[in-house]
Amino acid sequence: MLTDTRPARQRTIPRYQRVPRWHRMDMKVSPYLYIAPFFVLFGVFGLFPLLYTGYVSLLGWRTDTAGSEHTFVGLANYGKLLHDQFFWNALKNTLAIGVISTGPQLLLALGLAHLLNYKLRGRTLFRMSVLVPNVTSVAAVTVIFVQLFGRDYGLINYVLGLFGVKHLDWQAGTWSSWIAISVIVTWRWTGYNALIYLAGMQAIPFELYESAALDGASRWRQFRSITIPMLRPTILFTVIVSTIGALQLFGEPLLFNQSQTPETGGSQHQFQVMAVYTYEMFLGNGKFGYGAAISWAMFLVIVVIVAINLTLARRLRGVEE
Amino acid sequence: MTVVEPVRRRGRRDGQLSAGKGTYALLGAVVLISLFPLYWTFVAASRTNSDIDRVPPSLIPGGNLFANLGKAFHETEMRLALINSFLVASTITISVVLTSTLAGFAFAKLRFRGRNLLLAGLVATMMVPTQLGIIPLYIMMSQWLHWNDHIQALIVPAAASAFGVFFIRQYLVTALPTELLEAARVDGCSTLRIYWNIVLPVARPAAAVLGMLTFMTAWNDFYWPRVVLTPQNPTVQVALSTLAGGYLVDYSVLLAGALIATLPMLVVFVVMGRQILDGIMQGAIKA
Amino acid sequence: MRTAFRRAAAVVGAGLVLAGPALAGCGKSGSPSSGSTGPVTLTVNLYGDFGYKPLYEKYRQTHPNVTIKENVTDFDTHHKNLQQHLVAGAGTADLEAIENGQVAGYQSQAAKFENFLDSGVEKSRWTDQKVRAASSPDGKVLFGVGTDIGGLALCYRSDLLKAAGLGDTPEAVGAKLKSWDDFVNLGHEFRAKTPDKNVKWYDAASNVFNAIVAQADKGLYDESGKVIVETNPAVKAAWDQTIKSIQDGESAGLAAFTPQWNTGFQKGGFATITCPSWMMAYIKDQAKETAGKWNIVTIPGTGGGNWGGSYLTVPKQGRNRAAAIELAKWLTAPEQQAELFKSKGNFPSDQNLWKTADITNYKDDFFGGAPVGKIFSESMLNLHYQPLGAHAGEIGNVIGNALVSVEQGKATPDDAWKKALADVKNLTG
Repeated sequence: MLTDTRPARQRTIPRYQRVPRWHRMDMKVSPYLYIAPFFVLFGVFGLFPLLYTGYVSLLGWRTDTAGSEHTFVGLANYGKLLHDQFFWNALKNTLAIGVISTGPQLLLALGLAHLLNYKLRGRTLFRMSVLVPNVTSVAAVTVIFVQLFGRDYGLINYVLGLFGVKHLDWQAGTWSSWIAISVIVTWRWTGYNALIYLAGMQAIPFELYESAALDGASRWRQFRSITIPMLRPTILFTVIVSTIGALQLFGEPLLFNQSQTPETGGSQHQFQVMAVYTYEMFLGNGKFGYGAAISWAMFLVIVVIVAINLTLARRLRGVEE
Repeated sequence: MTVVEPVRRRGRRDGQLSAGKGTYALLGAVVLISLFPLYWTFVAASRTNSDIDRVPPSLIPGGNLFANLGKAFHETEMRLALINSFLVASTITISVVLTSTLAGFAFAKLRFRGRNLLLAGLVATMMVPTQLGIIPLYIMMSQWLHWNDHIQALIVPAAASAFGVFFIRQYLVTALPTELLEAARVDGCSTLRIYWNIVLPVARPAAAVLGMLTFMTAWNDFYWPRVVLTPQNPTVQVALSTLAGGYLVDYSVLLAGALIATLPMLVVFVVMGRQILDGIMQGAIKA
Repeated sequence: MRTAFRRAAAVVGAGLVLAGPALAGCGKSGSPSSGSTGPVTLTVNLYGDFGYKPLYEKYRQTHPNVTIKENVTDFDTHHKNLQQHLVAGAGTADLEAIENGQVAGYQSQAAKFENFLDSGVEKSRWTDQKVRAASSPDGKVLFGVGTDIGGLALCYRSDLLKAAGLGDTPEAVGAKLKSWDDFVNLGHEFRAKTPDKNVKWYDAASNVFNAIVAQADKGLYDESGKVIVETNPAVKAAWDQTIKSIQDGESAGLAAFTPQWNTGFQKGGFATITCPSWMMAYIKDQAKETAGKWNIVTIPGTGGGNWGGSYLTVPKQGRNRAAAIELAKWLTAPEQQAELFKSKGNFPSDQNLWKTADITNYKDDFFGGAPVGKIFSESMLNLHYQPLGAHAGEIGNVIGNALVSVEQGKATPDDAWKKALADVKNLTG
């Protein structure tokens, strides 16, 4: 470093004034520029439809009544929602399937990522294989799993039968349909989340493990005390994202009901989740105003649950990222 | 400090733990479970419709594969569908990775007014069920932009992803040392230089993973494409819905189509997978 | 991230309030211009293979300036997309097919389609039921021309009935199936006498229920468009009859169009099935080994029946409406319907064709040489008009689901009925 040959007065000028103006502008403005692409796109293609939908939820618009698109009903649709047994049923199904499909899945994904982090022979092959479920087309996945869970000729019932268990009608039962759908979702998304954890694990310096091993910590202890704490931001991320995804689940419950009009979610709506109920009201039934109200309600439910999720996470961990 | 010979635990080399037999067994089981449905798709696609529900189920391929594949290509615009899917998925991927690294970096390490509020807003945008907006979105596409039946209707709305931004942000929070940034600032780097020369290399593993996941998601998207495209200009998922047409579906042809829909992804895996997945291993910064 | 599913399911049309007035303009007011001779491309949206491709070639010979592009998507997507595109005011094809069970749901939007009566289409070509389902409630607009019909008969496994000692010939069997009570009782006898106890009497209760209800004077709706499910004794009677047969163990509890249903054909899981004409090709394809073991008799009850069939419509959003109307009329003209019958087995909806030799002499050996032409045309002639409403299809689904829940042992009949009524209220209220 060169000796500072400037006159004494300049040498004592505070740091921020020594920074050129363009640099200050850059530091002030560039963050906003960097986040702009996302927010602009969202503003156009996300926010606008959202607000319109909010507006429609205040209308009594239904396709079976001509001219109803102009009738303003205020909050009547939301009031109807509160007394709608099918909405609460859908909410119940969503929460149940959400819990069953997300909890075990994330734990499995964590364990899987840990295994995939080892030095393995053919590790690329292993890593690629766990992604295959996510790559297999949805149409194929549901056809296959509906087959597997078939009542009379399904493979799963066949195997259960070998253990003396009676054939289950997976689609008929409430719990059985919840479990079946959760199995499909878990199968499909565990590898995906495992890969996310795996990426996060790469940011953990290996020296931490080495020194822990030197201190005599077992692998399990290392996992608990190094991996998991260092993965906290990633885990938080997957929890939030998976929760949101579970609440918005649509494809699997819809396609599990193989029929020409699958939007009922089972003969007694036993696996009709919120997204499918909105689909039924809106497109099956032509109730645009009411459907809009339901989807807004769904949005609010998601916000509430994620907020709860976040506060719980902060309390338990007690650490800010 | 003198270097002490590390305790030899199951042979460590290259800063990694070696796997034991139990690990291989578990992973083997996982691979089996992951691949079985795909294998079954292949078997079903190589047989006839009446074979699909046979009991006990047939696990051995039949000879009908090429006939079914031929039908799948013949009854749909499958070649165009593959090209479209590839174009759409690649463009979305590049765009998402770029916008996500930019915004993720900003949220992770840059200081600006309203950062926390905007971050909360970002997470909130993920909670909006896209179901909420398909018809207004469709009206925009068809009446205002006249993009219906064109693939830009798929690309532009998906060009930036809150998931991507959030993902990169979480990664950079841990992986990008603030000291490095400060040192660069002191040396007079502009934010853009920092982004290009420091952030991007550091974010590479996460960006690669994000790219792969985004590509897969875009490839598999089935609902919005079905609404806004027609079978004349389809993506592969739209083409599959053509195969599911009619009262009575020929499942063997449908699953042959599903196979076609899945294979390109597998090819991409084989070609690029090694690079992407191995690249993850080099991510850690030695502080 | 489940962004794929975030893109799923539409809900809420918005912006139509603002776009509404604009849409009225967008709907291209004024009559369609007369057929031009400049090059025209027409798009046709279908939900299956109607066998039209060779017909397009034929059409080109007399209309060389017309290029036709056909789009096929699956049943659910096709109808949901049509609904969305109608609401959004853009995106429909020039010709859109609508299936029989769905068409009444579009009656309230009849104004969004071209009126075929203005183009010289003769209503009398089709039966009353077929015409009125695709007309506006006041009858002034015919928005769909009938393509094919299903009709309804009873297909049965002659070998299984013979083994149970229920009759050797279709005449003998038919004599025992004059009414639905006969049907249920014969089923009871079958279950008692059949040597293979795994064989049930019929495939799905909802098919039986729908067949019974369709024969009543009034079904789910009355003439004023009010839903009368709860108050109509005919509906409850059909329900009770079907429940009785379920409780008797007569139902195989399968869902139509699923792989399990296919297997049911192959393995002889049921002895009878209410079958429309298009199901014959399907049975032949699915259960080749059972050739000659089937036969067909008239559907029980006195009202005939119909399952499936289609219409072609021309939405007003299209840009080539005159050309589209011409094509729709041509595709459903008697010559083309007769040809489709020969090439694809689609039973023509034009009742003038039912008297032709082609139809009256049509027999099928797979089904024991049954005179299928006669049977299906008679079933259509016997089917009288029943008032329909916008949600007829969905209400049918609701009751079908309720029956399924009883078949699955999930609910008692009373519970299922109560739930069905609640569901119907939710749909229509």
